[in-house]
Amino acid sequence: MGAGQPPIPPQPPRPPQPPGPPAGPAKPQVKSLNCPQCGAAITLRSFQQAVTVVCESCHSILDAKDPNLTVLQQFKAATGELKPMIPLGTRGKLRGTDYEVIGFQRRTIFSDGEQFDWHEYLLFNPYKGFRYLSEYQGHWNDISVCKSEPGIEHRIVDRANYLGEYYRHFQTAEATTSFVLGEFPWQVRVGDPVIVMDFVKPPHILSYEKDKQSGEVTWSVGEYLYGKEVWQAFKLQGQPPEPIGVFENQPSPNTVNLKQLWGRFLLLCACLLGLLVMSDLFSSNKVVFSATYQLASGAPKGEASFVTDVFELKGRESNVEILTEANVANNWIYLNYALIDQDTGRAWDFGREVSYYSGSDSDGSWTEGGRNDKVIVPSVPPGHYYLRIEPEADARHPAISYKVEVHRDVAVFGFYGWGLLILFVPVALLTFKAISFERARWAESDHPILKSESD
Amino acid sequence: MFAKLYLLYGFMVLGGIATAQYRGWSLDRISQVKNVPRSIRDNPGAYRSIYSSYHHYTGGK
Repeated sequence: MGAGQPPIPPQPPRPPQPPGPPAGPAKPQVKSLNCPQCGAAITLRSFQQAVTVVCESCHSILDAKDPNLTVLQQFKAATGELKPMIPLGTRGKLRGTDYEVIGFQRRTIFSDGEQFDWHEYLLFNPYKGFRYLSEYQGHWNDISVCKSEPGIEHRIVDRANYLGEYYRHFQTAEATTSFVLGEFPWQVRVGDPVIVMDFVKPPHILSYEKDKQSGEVTWSVGEYLYGKEVWQAFKLQGQPPEPIGVFENQPSPNTVNLKQLWGRFLLLCACLLGLLVMSDLFSSNKVVFSATYQLASGAPKGEASFVTDVFELKGRESNVEILTEANVANNWIYLNYALIDQDTGRAWDFGREVSYYSGSDSDGSWTEGGRNDKVIVPSVPPGHYYLRIEPEADARHPAISYKVEVHRDVAVFGFYGWGLLILFVPVALLTFKAISFERARWAESDHPILKSESD
Repeated sequence: MFAKLYLLYGFMVLGGIATAQYRGWSLDRISQVKNVPRSIRDNPGAYRSIYSSYHHYTGGK
């Protein structure tokens, strides 16, 4: 069990041999009796179906099949120790069928020295038989006994096959009944141990229960219910308790098919790659100007700025790339550029620095910067242009040679990098959300996705 | 449903990239200046670059 969150108790231990529905139509019957131990009134709601009934007053478990209501067991519990959220005798319509709550029990497991409880409500319909509602920390399950026996396949993580569906093993534990109220169609006892195994396939759960004394095995199958569904079904007052944590078969809030989403992402990546190849193929990337200049050593004598020859930019409005290559070594050169439209006087002004440093120290040799730089000027209309260049460098610099090259209509690879990121972010967020939920689900199972340091 | 929406979103991103590429947009920040006088060709020093006060890195490790 992981630290922090309480372990999820196995769900849902079932009676060893719950009886099926009555053979023929039967009318709901209620019979009033008196407890032979304390004389308190006892109501039998399932009447012929009840095997044991519990006196709410003295907590005697009585043999409902015996006309004298023999006391089978008496357990210690404070009066009003545990009040069912759905009172016994409450009737409601669950998934289209009327049921009455006739029994309630608390089941308990001990893990790492701590006690964890969950509650079960036994529902009865004279035509449909029994089904169960289990509740743990605001998480509910609608449970019924399996129609056929599931098979267990032993693998790295065991799985159970029921009606062609595979359920993954979640947890195995020993559970006991620690509190009972109402009537039960089996010999209920407080303290009897059972081995329970849960297999999950959200929102479904498959539970195996083996009585440690008799060896009888029962399988049951359940489906996750939200508290509000239970409250609506039984018309209960107030609000259901807020669920705490993630339950073993709780449906993931992530309704997105991640496999499909990743497929779409890969498709879009392929389209993005295709677009990149196309743009590289169809971009003219034409060199329209190239020249090499020399910046004399030391402080400039006179005006440093100059203009280049006029060059023509043809075609549609497109970008212009300016490449600068300088033979700097442990120094820098800064170039104030202005790309000026000779005809309109419109200019694009920008500065670029080329710096390169290298050396060695106790960590070994190192380099920093580079001798090349490039910048892309956006949306430059066709026309006649020239560059105004104003070089700057350190006052004690040696002579620096630098080359300026102008390209028309180049592919901007940065777009594709950003595009990939923008496509990836929603997929990554949804995947992270789904993984986080599943991690929380399995954290308290026998197979946590990531074990905590304390495990 | 979400997968369809994502596909739509993806194609909008691709469309945006294609438009940016076709229109010649750039990721670099470039300032624009209007009405630069023609005399710059004869007197380049008369033009002052926006970036002439740039603080130069003179470092190295």
